[in-house]
Amino acid sequence: MKKLLAALLAVLFVFSFAACGSAQGEKKAGEVSVFYYTFSDTYISSVRAAMDSFLKSKNIAFNNYDANGNQTTQTEQVQTAIAKGSSMLIVNVVDTGSNDAAQNIVNLAKAANIPVVFFNRSVDESVVSSYDKCVFVGTDYEMAGHMQGKMIGEYLLANYAGVDLNNDGKISYVMFKGQEGNMEAIARTQYGVEDCDAVLTAAGKPALEFYDASNSNKYLVDQDGLWSSAAATNYMSTVLAQYSETNGNMVELIIANNDEMALGAIAALQSAGYNKDGGKVIPVFGVDATDAAKDAIKNGTMTGTIKQDAEGMAQVLVQLTENFRDGKATFENVDSANVIGTWRVNIPYATYIGE
Amino acid sequence: MSEINTIKKKTLGDRFAEFKAMSGADKRRAVGGVLINNAMYIIIAIAVIFIAIKVPAFLGLPSIVNIISLTAAKLPIALGIGGCIVLTGTDISAGRCVGLTACIAASLLQVATYSNKMFPNLGVMPLWLVFLIVVAVGALVGLVNGFFVAKFKLHPFIVTLSTQLIVFGTVLMYLMIGTNNGQTLSGLDTSYTDFVRGTLFTIGDVAVPKYVLYAVIITAIMWVIWNKTAFGKNMFAVGSNEEAANVSGVNVFMTIVLVFVLAGAMYGVTGFIEGARIASCSANTGLNYECDAIAACVIGGVSFVGGTGKISGIVIGVLLLQIIFAGLNFLSVSANMLYIIKGLIILIACAIDMRKYLVRK
Repeated sequence: MKKLLAALLAVLFVFSFAACGSAQGEKKAGEVSVFYYTFSDTYISSVRAAMDSFLKSKNIAFNNYDANGNQTTQTEQVQTAIAKGSSMLIVNVVDTGSNDAAQNIVNLAKAANIPVVFFNRSVDESVVSSYDKCVFVGTDYEMAGHMQGKMIGEYLLANYAGVDLNNDGKISYVMFKGQEGNMEAIARTQYGVEDCDAVLTAAGKPALEFYDASNSNKYLVDQDGLWSSAAATNYMSTVLAQYSETNGNMVELIIANNDEMALGAIAALQSAGYNKDGGKVIPVFGVDATDAAKDAIKNGTMTGTIKQDAEGMAQVLVQLTENFRDGKATFENVDSANVIGTWRVNIPYATYIGE
Repeated sequence: MSEINTIKKKTLGDRFAEFKAMSGADKRRAVGGVLINNAMYIIIAIAVIFIAIKVPAFLGLPSIVNIISLTAAKLPIALGIGGCIVLTGTDISAGRCVGLTACIAASLLQVATYSNKMFPNLGVMPLWLVFLIVVAVGALVGLVNGFFVAKFKLHPFIVTLSTQLIVFGTVLMYLMIGTNNGQTLSGLDTSYTDFVRGTLFTIGDVAVPKYVLYAVIITAIMWVIWNKTAFGKNMFAVGSNEEAANVSGVNVFMTIVLVFVLAGAMYGVTGFIEGARIASCSANTGLNYECDAIAACVIGGVSFVGGTGKISGIVIGVLLLQIIFAGLNFLSVSANMLYIIKGLIILIACAIDMRKYLVRK
């Protein structure tokens, strides 16, 4: 009886998977496999949504994989996809700390003789150049930090007296870092402040000061490495418990590695009476230009962000897919101004301080 | 049990007289026992004193209000999970469940004019209705958990591991609805944000957020349920000995199901508060919240052995974790140390807890 039940269940599963498969489009050998480092990342979700619609409109069969932040999972997914007969790999690699994970995927693709395109999360040039059918589509990850720093510096010069709440001539800031050991987070944390300082000192103003002189890191990091708004809210409310205008040491500027952390910090500020109707506004800067952040900027609760062009990235990825499929030159129909050497395409960033 | 009751009934004076009558070695042992059994409170006291000496602002009004607010935000989920632990179980679907309910609450309560509203034609729903919806969603997850635990005698770890995954998948699909495309849910209506993090009252010039009041109400309700209802007594009976409870006429199936449903409803409450508190909900919201909640329960003396635990203990447990979080920030200690300190405290708390049982045997 039990065996019969088990057999029935097994049959049921096979049918239900078959049903799922046909619903998502024909699953034949030669589909494009797209690997995302996690479905829960907001920016990656917008890339995914754009990719899905472009690939569908071009009638390219594809399948999405979610590594859920785990490199082992992703490597196994790549192996499975190749075994299934994938025609091309588009990989948003999980582990950016070392070259091993990306090199491993390149080797797998090489063995199967299929092209592999990495995107978003940075992959070293030496890895990409080791295989002629390999390309990286990314952003110059250091650029976001540089642009954020410059934007903040220029904003401060224009509004210095208003921002400097305790009139000590210096601006004290908090920096929210998304994750330890992530190249993007490290660069944004460093350049967001350095480039701002450069702008300030060039205009004869003192450099930014971290709000807590005894914190040698000069940043507060999401301990779960999720770049999450909850981490920023918890930190910010704790910071505000110790630093306030009445104590004359209020935090005067908030810089976050991404928009979610910026919004989390704003939530804590609002609980303390700032950044809402009738309250003083502490300038808050993020990166990504998510819809939520754009809306906050429109309402005046947030000051600025750096736009990562999700659709532009998806467009280039789909173009490359077509080029590889049709045997054309790798970078045909890709804006040559954004092509670096023979190995990467950079999607430009833009500052966003409202429309 | 009767032995414990008689011990409790002794007055302080009786105890002191008893203590005086002891021999020197017994006295030392008795003092040692008291110190170890109250080690958690002593550690809290030492930690607070140490931090306050280093950074006096730690005991300032804004800091105390901050710690109370952080505690209030994390209390409902811990109170929910506490019941599952009393049944010798656990619930690791709690965090994802908070994430799902927070996303649902946020999506239903976006400003009508928000550019990327998930349900553009919905307007703004009444708060009470959304509250009931998210509590119902949480309770539904709890019902599934409880049913599989009670009916098939599966270990709660396995059941809630499954529902954790199912709930996470649901969150991801929910966030793809309409034109949202997995984006963070934000642009919340002020009626919602004011209801949750609006000012309850101000002490000096420090604002106490309204969710502190809700946490107090929830704690009171849970205290009554645990201590004054037949269901609460049944829960402890099932937790300490399922067979015995069954023989003495307790409906074990219903008790287990209800404990998980109640826990699920608490995750719904947490999600409702968390949605407005952090004001931007994504698929990451709620991840790992159950770890802190379970840790808080264990620190507060809710034993994995089952059948014991107090609401006051859970409150202390949550409070201790928030004191550590805020304190280490005040001391500007590296965040890495927080993991180590938390780990040590859980280990010590559990060891002290088990020591009581070993002594009894």
